[in-house]
Amino acid sequence: MTRVIEACDLSKAYGDVQAVDHVTLAVKEGALFGLLGPNGSGKTTMIRMLTGQTRPTGGEASVLGIDVVKDPVGVRKRVGIIPEQETPPSFLTAIEYLKFVAAVRKIPDIGKKADWWFDFLDFADKKDVLCKDLSRGTRQKLMFTQAFIHEPALALIDEPLINFDPIMQDLVKDYLADYVKKGRTIFISTHILEVAEEICSEFAILHKGKLLHAGPIAELKERGEHLPAFFLSLVRKDHHV
Amino acid sequence: MFELFTSMVREEWRVHSTMFGSLSFALFPFLIFGIAFMGSFLIPLVAKTLPVGNLSIIVHANYLMLGLMVGGFGMLGNEVMNRRFGQASLLAYSARSLPLSERNIFANFVVKDTVYYFFLWVFPFAFGYILASPFIHVPLASALFLLLTLTLSFLFGLCGVFFLSTVYAWSKPIFWLFLLLLGIGFGGIMATGMNPALLFPPLLLHDEFSWTNLLLSCIVLACLFIVSLRLFNPESVGSEKKYKDSFTPLLQRLSALPNSPLAAKDMIDLYRSGSMIGQTIFSFIVPLVVIWFFLSLLGRFFPPHALLFLYAVTTGVIASTMYTWVTMFDNFGPYACLPVAVSTLITSKLATFTILQIIPAVFIAVVAGLSGEAAYLIPAVVLGIAVSFYAVSIMAWLCGLSPDVLVYDVKVLFVYLILVGIVITVFSAVSFLNPYYALGAVILAVPAWIFVQKAKVRWDAVDPAGF
Ligand SMILES: Nc1ncnc2c1ncn2[C@@H]1O[C@H](COP(=O)(O)OP(=O)(O)OP(=O)(O)O)[C@@H](O)[C@H]1O
Ligand SMILES: [Mg+2]
Repeated sequence: MTRVIEACDLSKAYGDVQAVDHVTLAVKEGALFGLLGPNGSGKTTMIRMLTGQTRPTGGEASVLGIDVVKDPVGVRKRVGIIPEQETPPSFLTAIEYLKFVAAVRKIPDIGKKADWWFDFLDFADKKDVLCKDLSRGTRQKLMFTQAFIHEPALALIDEPLINFDPIMQDLVKDYLADYVKKGRTIFISTHILEVAEEICSEFAILHKGKLLHAGPIAELKERGEHLPAFFLSLVRKDHHV
Repeated sequence: MFELFTSMVREEWRVHSTMFGSLSFALFPFLIFGIAFMGSFLIPLVAKTLPVGNLSIIVHANYLMLGLMVGGFGMLGNEVMNRRFGQASLLAYSARSLPLSERNIFANFVVKDTVYYFFLWVFPFAFGYILASPFIHVPLASALFLLLTLTLSFLFGLCGVFFLSTVYAWSKPIFWLFLLLLGIGFGGIMATGMNPALLFPPLLLHDEFSWTNLLLSCIVLACLFIVSLRLFNPESVGSEKKYKDSFTPLLQRLSALPNSPLAAKDMIDLYRSGSMIGQTIFSFIVPLVVIWFFLSLLGRFFPPHALLFLYAVTTGVIASTMYTWVTMFDNFGPYACLPVAVSTLITSKLATFTILQIIPAVFIAVVAGLSGEAAYLIPAVVLGIAVSFYAVSIMAWLCGLSPDVLVYDVKVLFVYLILVGIVITVFSAVSFLNPYYALGAVILAVPAWIFVQKAKVRWDAVDPAGF
């Protein structure tokens, strides 16, 4: 199977803070990959580097075969991204924002697709409301839509379920699980370990910028272990070293 | 309350200093000081051609202008709290979770901005003059006095625009009525041949000190300030309003532009946020009317057409700041998940900027007509617009997408002043000689183009500003 994401010794330092510390990681096509780790462990930084939003200070990475440093815009053309802080431009309405995204991404005729998404995520009534007046959850729905509207081969999502109500969480979980069945890849960061265990096929654990573990979920299950317990013991152990 | 104020000042300091280092920012007042100090030694020389009284008019006008530029708080209202400096300005925003009223937070914000600008611009300038005064044989008392009148000029501009912009946000009809009354008053004074400086107490005060005048000035200032704060409405008006899609038609209309979706988005942002009309009035027309007023005070010392060209050049420089209108309320965040490079964004901002240049072009044309110099309409418009494009290209090169923040980097401001200063001096002088020489300003398109290319390369090579 081909590798969709390849990171080698990837590092990012903010002054003295080593946000990501020599991480080597590969994600296979068709995987639903979960990046786990405590607050400040470098998940967001990792996603930002993989999507060319910020430059690594060391190492290299390629996404869908494109070098993230040499061609960050090329990467963003091919993938879908939901950043940690969802801020759609505030004076556009929801539908205008989607049309804006479509125009930038050069997707013709998004009317039908947009309608499908408004129905699917149940926010058709907010279609003509300015983004700045939307509730956080609705804004997240909009960000979700913009990331998937061009049906990317790879989507990177920082906390996919945050701000969603339980019904939405269920819906979105199923959507993600379905999405990878069609041979596409999803890379998420999350704190909700139960969800990661349920839907992810692979996972990795970051702590203080270092990669503590990477492997398939199935491996854990074979050993009869559960992700939350595994995560806690690993991180706590590392914490005491 | 005072805690909030100091935290806000600290935040403002951090926003600037993290972007280009504390030193560069700390040096800013010193640069202003240096310019004033050195400039003071030129006074005896300049005085031979331009009476000192006129020089003081120019300096006061500049500080009035500065106040005007800073004072549009009422216009910005709530938006300013959320969006100035993007997500970095969390303080004014998060302060809402504290047990403080919005008006209180807003008052803190206004006072902070006032104090901040005072120490960045007003005080260092006056201080430079004060230190230079013994060398150029100006009595210390009169130099100190300048500090007072400059401060008053600055505050007049600031409070005046604060007041007008709050009235504007409060009720449009009353705003226009008010403007009409002002216009009539102004016209009346001009018509009766009274001293026009009557309209501007700090200048009057500078010419001749009197306690009553000083007291009057302070009362006027206090009234404007208090009324503005009272009128300010912290609640964003209206509830969840629905809009019909303006993006699609606009996109079609702008399809000739490079990156038309980005330009269309900018236009909608400008329009719906009220920035388009508000900024045009308060950051463009009001300052230019004021400049016209001051230039007309200087009228006797220039050949008649020279005034028009001087005015066109000034309009060009002010028009170039329209670039900050389109960059100020936007941050890179929303674009980070789209295939958009910083260079693309700069291009699209410049495209929107280009559309906005209709405003100065019409403005210069109208002024040319009104001042009876319609014969020189075309060279004047060409000169103004060429200067504007040249200045904006330098701004884009030096500041990328954050001109409003990076201008406080000493290196940036210094280079900007030199590059723009040389050009406007040369082209003003040339157009004084022969009005049609002003057409030669089209040559500025060449350096402008080069600077824009350099800007794109330069700003693609760094991570988008830390928002
Ligand atoms: N722009 C920045 N400037 C300086 N330091 C930063 C910046 N962004 C992140 N950091 C630091 O890098 C480290 C990793 O941050 P990151 O946001 O990647 O963590 P995270 O795993 O996403 O945390 P969370 O679970 O809370 O979202 C932190 O120590 C953070 O303080
Ligand atoms: Mg994070």
